[in-house]
Amino acid sequence: MRPLKRLNLFGQGPLIALLALCFIISLLTGRFLSPLNLTNILVQSSIMAVIAIGMTFVIIGGGFDLSVGSTVALAGCVAAMAMVQFGLVAGVLAGIGAGVAVGLVNGVIVASLGINPFITTLGTMVLVRGIVFLITGGAPVGDERLPAIFLAFGTARFLGIHYLVWVPAVLLIVLSWVMAATPYGRRIYATGGSREAAYLSGVPVERVIASTYMWCGGLAGLAGVMLAARLQSGQPTAGEFYELTAIAAVVLGGASLHGGEGTLYNSIIGVFIMVVLGNGLNLLNVDSYWQRVAIGVVIVAAAAADRLRSRS
Amino acid sequence: MNAPAASARGVSKHFGATQALDNVDFDVLPGEVHALVGENGAGKSTLVRILAGVHRPDRGDIAVAGEVCAFNGPRDAIAAGIITIPQELRLVPGLSIAENLTLGDPPLRRVLGLAMIDRARMRREAGEQLAQLDFTPDTRLRVDRLSFAERQLVAIAKALRRRCRVLILDEPTAALETREVERLFAVLARMKSRGTAIVYVSHRLDEVVALADRCTVLRDGKVAATSRRGAFKVADLVEAMTGRAASKVDAVVSAPGAVVLEDVTQRPDAIRLRAHEVTGLAGLLGSGASAVLRRLFGIGGETIELRRDGALTRIAGPAAAVRAGIGFVPDERRLGLVMNMSVRDNILLPSLDRLARGGRLDRAAGDRLVGELIGLLDIRPRAMHARASALSGGNQQKVILAKWLAREVGVLLLDEPTQGIDVAAKAQIHALIGDFSKRGGGVLVRSSDLAELALICDGILAVHKGRITDRLQRSDGFDEKRLHAAIGG
Repeated sequence: MRPLKRLNLFGQGPLIALLALCFIISLLTGRFLSPLNLTNILVQSSIMAVIAIGMTFVIIGGGFDLSVGSTVALAGCVAAMAMVQFGLVAGVLAGIGAGVAVGLVNGVIVASLGINPFITTLGTMVLVRGIVFLITGGAPVGDERLPAIFLAFGTARFLGIHYLVWVPAVLLIVLSWVMAATPYGRRIYATGGSREAAYLSGVPVERVIASTYMWCGGLAGLAGVMLAARLQSGQPTAGEFYELTAIAAVVLGGASLHGGEGTLYNSIIGVFIMVVLGNGLNLLNVDSYWQRVAIGVVIVAAAAADRLRSRS
Repeated sequence: MNAPAASARGVSKHFGATQALDNVDFDVLPGEVHALVGENGAGKSTLVRILAGVHRPDRGDIAVAGEVCAFNGPRDAIAAGIITIPQELRLVPGLSIAENLTLGDPPLRRVLGLAMIDRARMRREAGEQLAQLDFTPDTRLRVDRLSFAERQLVAIAKALRRRCRVLILDEPTAALETREVERLFAVLARMKSRGTAIVYVSHRLDEVVALADRCTVLRDGKVAATSRRGAFKVADLVEAMTGRAASKVDAVVSAPGAVVLEDVTQRPDAIRLRAHEVTGLAGLLGSGASAVLRRLFGIGGETIELRRDGALTRIAGPAAAVRAGIGFVPDERRLGLVMNMSVRDNILLPSLDRLARGGRLDRAAGDRLVGELIGLLDIRPRAMHARASALSGGNQQKVILAKWLAREVGVLLLDEPTQGIDVAAKAQIHALIGDFSKRGGGVLVRSSDLAELALICDGILAVHKGRITDRLQRSDGFDEKRLHAAIGG
């Protein structure tokens, strides 16, 4: 417990954990550090990173969102359907808009009606997945009817780096600034730290909380569009268990499930920890069933670390 | 002289660089009330926690009934008969009185060879236990339905179920009304007569003078004085605690100023606050005095209309109240501060919109403002990046006041602003309130301490059952008898 505390003092505990994990895996297999594999890790992390950024907004604000996985699927399918009909821009906006709409519903229910976020988003998770199957009939949407430029987006690079990777990189820089340097960002931290104290200081807590769910939904929508580009279609079954990976990544990154603490940067480190772990186990030919077990252990360990931190 | 029920000899303890206790001797005899006083950070809590087995001393010994003990945790201390009643009572809110009292060792009976809880006996035993404290509730009531004072009696009764050699009370009267304090004192007197040793930690020095057989004053981790009953007065204690003679806050009587806030929704009970005036709200717990205050800050759901500096304003919630230049200090510090945020971020929280320049916060201006306020209010430590939770109660209260001074509000609503803080910080907060009003601010302050209201207020409103029942002016002289009658006490 003491070394854990000291690492957090530097604020670099998650980074050190990530580097240690990379070091161990690179000792066990030479293929880990190959350029191809590292690029692979970046691309695999990119979509989850976008979701995790949104999740970090919600968790810092003292909430929780289980509906992001379903939102990813909804946004991908809605984007693909709109794109086939109305073109690229309309499709992208429709996908993100669908995500924001889900976030708005979550936010209003949680913030204004005061219903527990776990139950609320558990409900919308199932509900949104149902809507996805209803509008798609369970079949993938798009394929070769999608605009060529959209299909290229999933694989093309800019300055040698995939567009998919640029998206979370730019989001991280811009939104970290919002969190740290704007009144809005500081209000999210205050609301998550103590809703009552923030309220009694004149912070419009209901609007702040609702807005965090809209960020989370909107970014999950963007992630859904990115995933559709990568899969070359909108898949109704996409994004399953993404919510759990995203929450685990955010908690691994040091955000407190009690709210009020965490940074976008560390959440992205948390995403890398999850992806590197999966990648390493793959390279080491660990049975995919065992991989699930390992990831489950990491999630529980992250929650336990959160508990230990809040106690100390 | 018989052996002390519990004693500490040459106890030292440090936390990091802070020497919390330095070679402290302390003992408490059977059938004695030994008060422990001192400013925040003087080491009272540390000493009490060492006696209770929470901390281990770096040096020195703890002895119970003459035998040296090494406690490995609170469990060992409880087994040795040292029971602590903390400020925040450890009762299970959702369980009944009887269940709480017998938690851990409920009376059992055998049904078909299985051990079952004997509910009838549990209730009877609980009832008997509480009757010894002159408290006869229905023991099937859930604990969360009781008042704080009643819950405290349940906690004491629970302590008495175990073998209780030493009872440690940490600020037991901080949340009690006068009559409840009297009842508690009667209970303590009875326990004393049965030979229980009582360690009494309190900020209320008049109580210490009335109750304690001996009093130990701690200052900066050392024993500053230990004296017997009759040998100490409040002024002596203050001097020993602070190392300087006690000074009185001068009451200033000034001409009535302009009306800065007027409640126009509730005509008959209209509250009117004037510039240069401190108005007090007196009322017993549950009198609705707190609600009167909270209502003016827009808490409670209803939209109210106020005349603020003459302009009609609708207040739908705290955000609107803050925009109208009203600040509120709640009765619990955890409601006034985001504990895991820094002192700086807490102070700036109500003023974020004012510090925004083109969408981003002006960091330098914020730091300057916070630096000034930390100096002005003498907030310690002088570290704006320290977490609010790391500060003592008095300093936390100053940070809450600093929030509203940073926002430059014209009206302050204060709910028990000096509850549970030491005399020195109390005097500083009184001075700040006086200063704020002298500069033209209007103040409405609720306190359960009538002497405090009489000291700092220009006028006092008495509240009973949610209504203002009397208005008293300093120029008339505050008549305590009339005040008591008006609040129904």
